[in-house]
Amino acid sequence: MLELVGVKHRYAGRLVLDLDRFLVPDRSAVAIVGHNGSGKSTLLRLLASLESPSEGVVRFDGRPAAGERRRVTLVEQRPVLFRGTVRENIAYGLRARGRRASEIERQVSRVSERLGLSALLGRRRQQLSEGEVQRVAVARALAIEPDVLLLDEPAASADRAASQALYRALDEERRARPLAVCVASHQLEDAYRWTDDIRALAEGRLSPVTPENLFRVDLPGPDAGGLQHVAVGGIRIAVVSDKTGPAILAVPPTDVLVSREPLPSSARNVFRGKVTRLARQRGGVHLSADVGVELVAAITEEATRDLALAPGASVVFSFKASAVRVF
Amino acid sequence: MDFLGDGLRRALGLLFAGDPETYGVALLTFKVAAVATVIACAAGIPAGFLLASRPFWGRRAALTVVNTALAFPTVLVGLLLYGLLSRRGPLGGLSMLYTWQAIALGDVLLAFPIAAALSAAAVQGVDPRVRRTALTLGAGPWRAAWTVAREARFALAAAITAAFGHVIAEIGSAMIVGGNVRGQTRTLTTAIALSTSQGDFGLALALGIILLVLALLVNVALQVLQGRGDA
Repeated sequence: MLELVGVKHRYAGRLVLDLDRFLVPDRSAVAIVGHNGSGKSTLLRLLASLESPSEGVVRFDGRPAAGERRRVTLVEQRPVLFRGTVRENIAYGLRARGRRASEIERQVSRVSERLGLSALLGRRRQQLSEGEVQRVAVARALAIEPDVLLLDEPAASADRAASQALYRALDEERRARPLAVCVASHQLEDAYRWTDDIRALAEGRLSPVTPENLFRVDLPGPDAGGLQHVAVGGIRIAVVSDKTGPAILAVPPTDVLVSREPLPSSARNVFRGKVTRLARQRGGVHLSADVGVELVAAITEEATRDLALAPGASVVFSFKASAVRVF
Repeated sequence: MDFLGDGLRRALGLLFAGDPETYGVALLTFKVAAVATVIACAAGIPAGFLLASRPFWGRRAALTVVNTALAFPTVLVGLLLYGLLSRRGPLGGLSMLYTWQAIALGDVLLAFPIAAALSAAAVQGVDPRVRRTALTLGAGPWRAAWTVAREARFALAAAITAAFGHVIAEIGSAMIVGGNVRGQTRTLTTAIALSTSQGDFGLALALGIILLVLALLVNVALQVLQGRGDA
């Protein structure tokens, strides 16, 4: 198990990561989601022992992770390939481990087949597309058979089909051998398709709410009643907070009431819009609607049926000002 | 114009006649420059890597010193080395003054900052993800440094070329610590200076042509080596 404990990390004195505890259990599939600049990449570099935290420790099975670095590998966002062919790139980590030529050849064949790279083994980096470079980088990481594979925005340069193929390959690899995969992504949809263990990162901290409906805002300051109306996309969200200035707003999807018509209620936030997507997952449905900004509500299958909700249907989202988290 | 034409004719005559003294001077010059370049680069390139990739106390000051040393006057290096190697100097017991080894030592001092500063710039020019990726794939520090060097090979080759070009063409230090002794420490540059002062323009021109050809050959050799590996 890979874990960060009591970690604070600073760049030039600025706190960029502040985590009491972050675990990547054995054989798990973890997704870290958050805005650009939320600390995802820094977190992955700490987990990969490429940087040491300013405070706190990173451990692997109870031992300092720096000593176990060969068991963890990271594929960075926009990865680089080394000089040489795809075959030489995939073999790099195995050569670094002094493996025999026959074993290297076998392993290169195995992972290149898994990632659909067999036809590209003789090519050099300038002969590859961005998506192919990404797949080669993942194959290069899988070739060394790490215990933990860290991926930073693996679908950033891939289309939907390529991204699904990549996640499928990772699932196959996890079924074939003990492997934990931790993916940082800003694409919630991909994350939800791939795993249930989703952790939201905002401003370097783990967010206490489901990582949807997160908005970077500028708080104008409260009125006499402690309420403030914050511009988010094309709507103004009522929030109870005494903070001012830059902040993150989080609207927990479970706190959003869904109806076909506005209901008389105490909710200060009532927005009409159209359903854009229904994502079915264990325990219910994540309903996305464009209400001036994209919002997600968590509802049951039964409610979805009763309200006859489908993409394009009119819908009203209501939630209380006090339900909106500010941090 | 006759003066120049006569000089050129005499130069070509000396070159094609295979004058042993002329070629002896050329050979010694190449030997001194090659030895000095190898030693300076063997020390300077790792120093450049260190300066570029490892944060340590005084790193910025060290970079400033190395960059300043790029403009160190060759006569001043010769003068300082003369003070150290002369009989009354602290290294006088080595009896190195007026030997080709003394010239090579001066050249090492001149070429080291070039190799270090240009290597540091070369390494700083490599995408930092290259080293991180090598480390995360299990490479040790040496293999990771080698991987970075492969990515920076063109800039590193330029550093070696610049170091060689500087030492093969320098005259100040070679004149002071070498003494321009015929058959022993006479290099192409010191011989050119002497021939010109004696009015033998043809010999000076012949030696100048050899100097150019030597520099050209080394550059071509390095370019061939670079061209062998594509991306």
